[in-house]
Amino acid sequence: MTGKGKLLWQITKGQRLRYLSAIAALIAASCFLYLVPLIPTAVLNGVLADADEQVSPFMAWIVDVMGGRAFVISHLWVPAAVIAALAVTAGGFTYLRGRWSAIASESIIRRLRNRLYDHLQHLPCSYHDKAETGDHVQRCTSDVETVRLFLSMQIVEIGRALVMLIVPIPLMYMLDARMTIVSLVVIPPIVAFALIFFTKVKSAFKDADEAEGKMTSTLQENLTGIRVVRAFARQDFETKKFQEKNATHRGLDYRLYYLMAWYWATSDFLCFTQKALVVCAGAYWLWQGELAVGTFYFFLSAVSMFIWPVRMMGRILTDLGKALVALGRIEEILTSQTEAQIDAQQVTEPALLPEPRRGEITFDHVRFAHGTSEDVLCDVSFRVEPGQTLALLGPSGAGKSTIIHLLLRFYDADAGTIRLDGADITQLDRMTVRRQIASVLQEPFLYSKTIGENIKIGRTTANEDETTEAAVTACLHESIEEFDKGYDTLVGERGVTLSGGQRQRVALARAILQKPAVLILDDALSAVDTETETLIIDALRKRRGRHTTIVIAHRLSTLRHADHVIVLDQGRIVQTGTHEKLVAEEGRYRRLWSIQTSLQEDFGKQLTSAAHPRTQ
Amino acid sequence: MTDDAIHEEEYKSRLDLRLWKRVIQHARPYAWHLVGLGLSGLALALIEALLPLITAWIIDAATDGTVEVGESNLMLYAGIYAVLVVSICIIIWAFIIMAGKVATGLAFDIRRKSFIKLQQLPFSYYDHRAVGWLMSRLTSDCTRLSSLFPWLTLDLVWGTFTLGSVTAVMFVLNWQLALAVLTIVPPLTVISVYFQHKLLHSSRAVRKANSQLTASFNECIMGARTTKTLVRETENLREFDETSGGMYRHSVRNALQSAVYLPIVISLGSIGAGLALWRGGVSLGESITLGTLIAFMQYAAMFYIPIQELARRFTDVQMAQAAAERIQGLLDTEPDIRDSDEVLARIEEQKQHDPRPGIAIDGHAARIERIEFEHVAFAYKDGEAVLKDFDLTVRAGETIALVGATGGGKSTIVSLVCRFYEPTEGRILINGVDYRERSLHWLQSNLGMVLQSPHLFSGTIRDNIRYGRLDASDEAVMEAARLVNAHDFITASENGYDTQVGEGGGRLSTGQKQLVSLARAVLADPQIFVMDEATSSVDTETEQLIQTGIERMLEGRISFVIAHRLSTIRGADRILVIDAGRIIEAGTHGELIERRGRYFDLYTSQFAKEREEFVLQT
Ligand SMILES: Nc1ncnc2c1ncn2[C@@H]1O[C@H](COP(=O)(O)OP(=O)(O)OP(=O)(O)O)[C@@H](O)[C@H]1O
Ligand SMILES: Nc1ncnc2c1ncn2[C@@H]1O[C@H](COP(=O)(O)OP(=O)(O)OP(=O)(O)O)[C@@H](O)[C@H]1O
Ligand SMILES: [Mg+2]
Ligand SMILES: [Mg+2]
Repeated sequence: MTGKGKLLWQITKGQRLRYLSAIAALIAASCFLYLVPLIPTAVLNGVLADADEQVSPFMAWIVDVMGGRAFVISHLWVPAAVIAALAVTAGGFTYLRGRWSAIASESIIRRLRNRLYDHLQHLPCSYHDKAETGDHVQRCTSDVETVRLFLSMQIVEIGRALVMLIVPIPLMYMLDARMTIVSLVVIPPIVAFALIFFTKVKSAFKDADEAEGKMTSTLQENLTGIRVVRAFARQDFETKKFQEKNATHRGLDYRLYYLMAWYWATSDFLCFTQKALVVCAGAYWLWQGELAVGTFYFFLSAVSMFIWPVRMMGRILTDLGKALVALGRIEEILTSQTEAQIDAQQVTEPALLPEPRRGEITFDHVRFAHGTSEDVLCDVSFRVEPGQTLALLGPSGAGKSTIIHLLLRFYDADAGTIRLDGADITQLDRMTVRRQIASVLQEPFLYSKTIGENIKIGRTTANEDETTEAAVTACLHESIEEFDKGYDTLVGERGVTLSGGQRQRVALARAILQKPAVLILDDALSAVDTETETLIIDALRKRRGRHTTIVIAHRLSTLRHADHVIVLDQGRIVQTGTHEKLVAEEGRYRRLWSIQTSLQEDFGKQLTSAAHPRTQ
Repeated sequence: MTDDAIHEEEYKSRLDLRLWKRVIQHARPYAWHLVGLGLSGLALALIEALLPLITAWIIDAATDGTVEVGESNLMLYAGIYAVLVVSICIIIWAFIIMAGKVATGLAFDIRRKSFIKLQQLPFSYYDHRAVGWLMSRLTSDCTRLSSLFPWLTLDLVWGTFTLGSVTAVMFVLNWQLALAVLTIVPPLTVISVYFQHKLLHSSRAVRKANSQLTASFNECIMGARTTKTLVRETENLREFDETSGGMYRHSVRNALQSAVYLPIVISLGSIGAGLALWRGGVSLGESITLGTLIAFMQYAAMFYIPIQELARRFTDVQMAQAAAERIQGLLDTEPDIRDSDEVLARIEEQKQHDPRPGIAIDGHAARIERIEFEHVAFAYKDGEAVLKDFDLTVRAGETIALVGATGGGKSTIVSLVCRFYEPTEGRILINGVDYRERSLHWLQSNLGMVLQSPHLFSGTIRDNIRYGRLDASDEAVMEAARLVNAHDFITASENGYDTQVGEGGGRLSTGQKQLVSLARAVLADPQIFVMDEATSSVDTETEQLIQTGIERMLEGRISFVIAHRLSTIRGADRILVIDAGRIIEAGTHGELIERRGRYFDLYTSQFAKEREEFVLQT
């Protein structure tokens, strides 16, 4: 069995019994529905017609069941009532079929959606770096829908079609072997044709599905970057780009219809040919006297009966083809290794962090590169004592954020070790590592919830006071109070309805509230004005010793109180030391410092003149 | 994703003919295809009625023995049969092809229109809507609607035709019995109306849940890193399970409703036949002959097949309506910010003339000499004023720096200049003309903007810089990159300008992203240059290089610079200190220092202490 088939089988787990019941209900409903038109026929032929007319035994039996000819003639409402009863029973079974197959398929799909969601959030960052969001969203929605349609419509039909196909064959064979062969002769080509079509439709659907994925991706990117599109008035360019994808998708989607048109025309032609063959051969042998009239009728109705499921098979196969392709795309996500799976290959038994958590961090000759490109970090070693503050400084692309990412185990170092409280973090469970660390990433992400919920998201058990305290520390409380709805203000997707500084401070409050052993601020105050920044830094300094802190910033005012400063350039540590040491030393730090303080010349003059009364 | 996080239009109306009228408008280009579909439906119905007749003929011949079933006879039968079958197959082929044309074409058109609409809607529309919600309208909602359309047409034509002809024949045969069969129509109508209501309701819930799911998946991927840092996976999954559980409940409810509705319709059809049998049997010999009754019963049985098919479509139609409402809701949203009719008329008029130098597409001067804020007030939400009575005049060649506490309204001011939002009170004038009387596209294509949160599109660095001016040569792209000091880091990487930046620019560092967006804005060669904390994540040294680099470039343009770093703003012609939506101080760096007001406080808080210490050390 192929992987996709296996996945299909696997996801139906727990619902198979329900499907079987649904199939049984469907067959029962079909039988009752089949009986309904027989009643009028029986009544008309067996009751209302002249008594001496020949009636088939089955019809006579039906009349007998209803109470016999004489009774029915005087109580003509009885057949009507029987019809109603049969119809209602059939309706009941139809309902059961609908109910069971709906519950079964929806449960499966719900589980599949949850599984996808969970898998996506556990995939490593290196996966997300390459993944196209829109394409993934399309897989999780549109492809899942394709599978859902198959599960809710076709699985049950497969059961019925198989029964209807298989049951008449032995009966036919018992009656007349020659006629049976004639009745079945076109079936193999139909099936073969359906199978060929199945592979064709699969590849055509795959193309169409991938095109849809690309289109969704383009759409998603456009909507996410809509502000940039507007800022450059690139609406026409974007529309053209989308239209290309849209047109490709239309073409490939249409090709699917085109294939279907050929398939249905051909398969219907074959089906009709099969019928005609039976009629011709039957009529001929009947005329020759080699076939009984009854047998002939039987074959006529039998062929009509099983031609239907054969046609149906084509539709089922088409949908199965689509579902398998969709499942294939879903499977690509599900078989990508999650962080836990990657770890399980290397570490059988994750180590435990020593208690109490102190927040000591060591980097030991760490080297790292994204994939095969050149090194981002080279031979980086440093150590941060518990409770101390480390500042990282360096030009863009020096690798500051990368150090944080390695510590958070977004990526694993290619060489060297990183230790947290003395334990090699690759030997620890990733979750354990991350739970020790609260971080404000360089581009903070807020969830589309209220401000209050966003702050509390790292520790949902926090109470009102703690939340407020965190907000106060992040200098956010007052701004929030100014909103009409205060902490219940919604922030919009990714926090778009907040100002840049507000967004950063919400992320900061969120991190502070986590009460971590390590606090990381990756350029977390870049959008905050200097005054507020000073307040925040002071507030954080008061909390000194409660947690180890790593700060990345470009404003030296943010960094200067750190116990230890590391200057990075092109992935290497070029300078280390305290602020005082670095200011005294020739190098980048001093250069930056002098740029930032040369501005003080103005202030210097002003400060001295401040001592004297203003002369103007 | 909380439910009320997102604006959701509430749909209340019942089967809405006005909506369908609008939806049918989209199908206009496919009118002939739809007619073709209808005709194929009719032809198919006819041929399918003929086929049994000729089969009956040959069978009768064979069983009665009256006609000789010779080879010629069989050949004749086979011939006629073959002709009919081949025509059926051709019709089937044609109608699937036509259905494909309609379905895919309709989806294509609706997507195009929606996309264009999305490009026009103002930011305020996006502020309250998740990307996933908008996506689901163009993807699944659109598919739902467009794929139903051709089949609906086919079934409607076929169903109505069959129903009509069967009814007619029944009336001709015996009108009393026909009425007996038709007694099921009133209950059928009542039940259908009842279920229509229910189905529409649950269909809307399903479509809404679908949007929510799409948004959740989108947010899940976009926020993957933050989720990891917060170790929130379990909690997220629990929340997602609520959403997917909602989808489950609504879908099952919808499915159960049709699971109840369909059998009822089928049963009613059979009951109608039963009634006819009863009435006919009772009055047999009086008003009806046995032969007529037999014929009548056959038609009565045929009566409910189209009803059943139509009933099946009926549930689909409800789902399609729910989808159509969402799409049409998007298409019918009128952008608040757009060119007025008057402006459009002027643009049309301008198109008649040869392009005149110095004249923009809307007939006004193309060069921006002056931008004025005149008593401008603005609020994103009613009651939360961000700007109040704001006045400002900026002339070409001026660099305006905006500083001040976060949340003060700096970004809002530039958003207003760029007409991403419009003032709620007061006016903004360009060269003395209210900018609402100017072309929106003209204004925005004269912008060069670096947004506070840098965003790049997937593609190469070159593509991204070129986004600023699409016809720029490679040299121009490099020139822009050199100007903002991005050239070095770009050439240092393996693939240089062909480096893929990843989605949203994720494979670059934040500072690098800012440099690329800056180069993009520089390349645009705009009249209005806006840098909203454009270099906040760039080190001071690089920043200084950028400053000298673009200084010459800023000449003659209007530029707005927002920054917190003193080094960035010091050189500006005018510095505005913004607090709570007002200008509280304005002047050059020197003047403001002199004044010892807010500006002085803002920067001395940081430097005073440092200077003291620095002086002590040296
Ligand atoms: N799209 C929006 N919808 C609703 N409110 C908004 C929106 N954008 C900003 N605001 C609010 O308007 C106020 C001003 O925001 P603005 O972005 O102009 O501030 P800012 O001065 O740029 O601050 P920062 O320095 O932090 O970027 C803030 O209180 C913010 O919450
Ligand atoms: N996902 C990624 N794939 C490939 N390369 C990457 C990826 N993320 C970062 N890089 C590269 O790694 C280098 C270091 O990036 P990093 O984000 O650590 O810089 P940084 O020091 O934080 O810079 P900044 O001050 O601009 O934030 C950069 O050259 C960047 O282009
Ligand atoms: Mg960084
Ligand atoms: Mg701002």
